Amino acid sequence: MDISMTGTRATDEVRARPRTDPKGLLGAVFVLGGAMMSLTGMVWDIQWHNDVGPDTFFTAPHLVLYAGSAVAGIASLVVVLATTMAERRGRPVDPTVGGTAVGVFGRTFAAPVGYLISGVGAALFLVYGLLDERWHRLYGFDVVIESPPHIGFLLAITLTMVGAVMVSAAALGKRWGEITTVMGLALLLGFDSIVVEGLNAFGLGAVDLRTAGISFVSVLPLVVGARLLGRPGGAIGIALILAALQALYWWFGPWATRLYADAIGQPFRDDPVGVPMVPALIPMTLLPVAALVGPLLARARDNGRLAMVVGGIGGLVITVTAAGQSMLLLGEGAFDELPVMIATAAAGTAVGVAAGFLGVRFAEILRSLAPAGEGR
Amino acid sequence: MRKIVMVLLGVIGLLLVTTPTAQAEEPIKVVHTEQVQAGPYRLTVGFSRWPLKAMQSLDYTFTPDGGIRGRSGTLAVIAPDGSRYEVELARHPRQREVWGLDVQSLDEPGEWTFRFIIDGAQGQGTGELRLTMLEQPGPPLAISWAIGSGPLIGLIALIVVGWRRVRPRASIAH
Repeated sequence: MDISMTGTRATDEVRARPRTDPKGLLGAVFVLGGAMMSLTGMVWDIQWHNDVGPDTFFTAPHLVLYAGSAVAGIASLVVVLATTMAERRGRPVDPTVGGTAVGVFGRTFAAPVGYLISGVGAALFLVYGLLDERWHRLYGFDVVIESPPHIGFLLAITLTMVGAVMVSAAALGKRWGEITTVMGLALLLGFDSIVVEGLNAFGLGAVDLRTAGISFVSVLPLVVGARLLGRPGGAIGIALILAALQALYWWFGPWATRLYADAIGQPFRDDPVGVPMVPALIPMTLLPVAALVGPLLARARDNGRLAMVVGGIGGLVITVTAAGQSMLLLGEGAFDELPVMIATAAAGTAVGVAAGFLGVRFAEILRSLAPAGEGR
Repeated sequence: MRKIVMVLLGVIGLLLVTTPTAQAEEPIKVVHTEQVQAGPYRLTVGFSRWPLKAMQSLDYTFTPDGGIRGRSGTLAVIAPDGSRYEVELARHPRQREVWGLDVQSLDEPGEWTFRFIIDGAQGQGTGELRLTMLEQPGPPLAISWAIGSGPLIGLIALIVVGWRRVRPRASIAH
């Protein structure tokens, strides 16, 4: 794809906009809503496989999953087309709606960069969905998360969620932009708690990669949230929203699975897992880590060193407690052996350090999406 | 703006209404069987695909002569390298009158062993079935994983572009 900068015109009117201005909110809500449908579809689908079983391309949980990317993708397309039309008619393009517009395929389309990413993620989801169908024809309906096409479309949804965060960050000068940024980062963290299951494909060696990986995908959004908003609430809000979602899904996953199984007359397995799977995978100690990350990093005048220390501590806490959580809720003995336990804790700390460093930098990059003077 | 919302809602509605949802599944088509003698119990093991190929998932059915009523047991699945996992014998979700495993794949080629321990009125019996798993079908796994990682490579490229465009700041201006 050929992408070039088209030189957005930010007008005085744009700069003078009040914090309650709703322009751009609708597109952000649709992209975030699509992302939330994707997460909800995954929660339901994973529960279905564990408690009931049979799979086809068109199960109800799959439809929710597909609809999530469809909603986010169509919303992204609509905004890109509207922006393209506005630019062609010589109207000023507002960079608070999805960020600076970039030219795609020469200057055929003017795409706000956030919507470009969320739209590309949705399109890739479609491509990997088709590859998944091909995979299932070749290998059968394997019910594992860690197959190449599954990881492909989970990463595509992640890309859509990153786009949703970019769209929100572009509107950081407005009240709703702050709220949707925190919501987007919470969805990203929740969803990536599933994506890191893909690391199980590497097998269990000296380090439990999945448990160490959960440290990275947890610390990174918390640091980004704190730095983007410049307030402890940026990190604490993520943890609170995710805790609320976790509680909701704890009820929803088993309930929807029971409802659907009854509706199609499919009995439960003799040996259902019996635990809400995805809520059990999402770390439960995010709030104390956010309470550390938020106040320490939100306004720190430091270019990453403090974030690395705080990230390392947060990563260690999340790694150890996530392993305990898996053992307690899912009976997974990741920490059966002391050497694996020590190596995994060390790896989780190391990736927490990396996430702290990257989080500060990513927040700077995201803040650059908001017009000067609007982001913090 | 209201038009856009209506169009979006219409598309979503159409997606949900016109797509068929899953119905309860049909019983398994067994294309091959093997016999296992586990002490006093004779067990028929059915396969929905044959021959077996690594990574290719299939349904297994385990049917003792006289049925599963009043009987229980475990299945130990032993890999060519000796690693193993054990499961309780549970009814197949799509064929509830027999035990089974639904859409299971075994990932390594080589000789696998299914070891059954069955308890019932005639006491406990143990029996083994050796299964040869052929090489996986399809392209080499490395190629499949390279394709599956595509969006991650795209994400890294996005980060690199952002990293180079935005200069780091030593502190936040408030």
